[in-house]
Amino acid sequence: MKKYRYFGGFLTSQEKWLNKMAQKGYRLVRVGKMLYEFESCTPKQYQYAVEFVADKSKKDSQEYKAFLEGCGYKVFYKNINVSYSIGKVRFRPWAEGSGKIATNATTFNKELLIVEKENDGNPFELHTTTNDKIGYIKKWRNIWLTYFAMFALMAILFAFKTPLASIILGSIGVLTLIPVIAYQIQVDKLKKEAETEE
Amino acid sequence: MRDNVKSGALTEVTFFILLALYQARHGYAIMQFVEEKTEGRLMIGAGSLYGALDSLNKKGWITIHDDSDVRKKEYIITDEGKHVAERELKRIQSLACIAEEIIGG
Repeated sequence: MKKYRYFGGFLTSQEKWLNKMAQKGYRLVRVGKMLYEFESCTPKQYQYAVEFVADKSKKDSQEYKAFLEGCGYKVFYKNINVSYSIGKVRFRPWAEGSGKIATNATTFNKELLIVEKENDGNPFELHTTTNDKIGYIKKWRNIWLTYFAMFALMAILFAFKTPLASIILGSIGVLTLIPVIAYQIQVDKLKKEAETEE
Repeated sequence: MRDNVKSGALTEVTFFILLALYQARHGYAIMQFVEEKTEGRLMIGAGSLYGALDSLNKKGWITIHDDSDVRKKEYIITDEGKHVAERELKRIQSLACIAEEIIGG
């Protein structure tokens, strides 16, 4: 069975949808840009997690994929955006090391991993330790912080010539602060918990 | 990986990984070791484990034992790692002593 969906950066929605499909008895066999192909399986036989890896270098993301496969999981690469251009280079200021520049040859269109685990009755969580959870959330916070910085910079550049553009860009910039704050609240909550428990 | 530098206390996950690696193991075997030993109380997610192995390797507490199979890369504890684990055992023993004195063991 083929289904077409686009989730963009909404990783949790994608994860929930895949798990809902698995509960109904559909197992993921192939993914494309917007395509998800399923085959029938026993309901609740598999569990899914969607992992963001675009901040890793090509080598690191391959190693991580191999590590997860070594843990007995099936892993699919998935794109985060829909883009058909060839030879595109993308700059990711929030990434680490050589992951900063994404090209077709490296991690472009391989921003996500869809990880499949055979259901053993336990919840499927890739991130379990507090510090690791904090690191993962901070990654998302920094991405939105980058957007904020970009819009703020553009707003300043336009300020003298076209004040209207500046106001629009500035407003979008302020909107990008909403997820920044939301993620920061999550980080603070985890840190607070870590004061007494781990 | 958070290590409380002042007291030298390890996180439970760090200590368990070091203990698991007294014998060469790959990621999945470490997860199984921890799950078995704690009877499922403590479970390490693969993502967290990957990050922990990387930072312990960088600290020099563990090292790669066999990476012929990239999916089943094996790690083993180093002498420095053993030293850290021994120190942690002493710390926990002394903590347990104090707790027994007060709570009554």
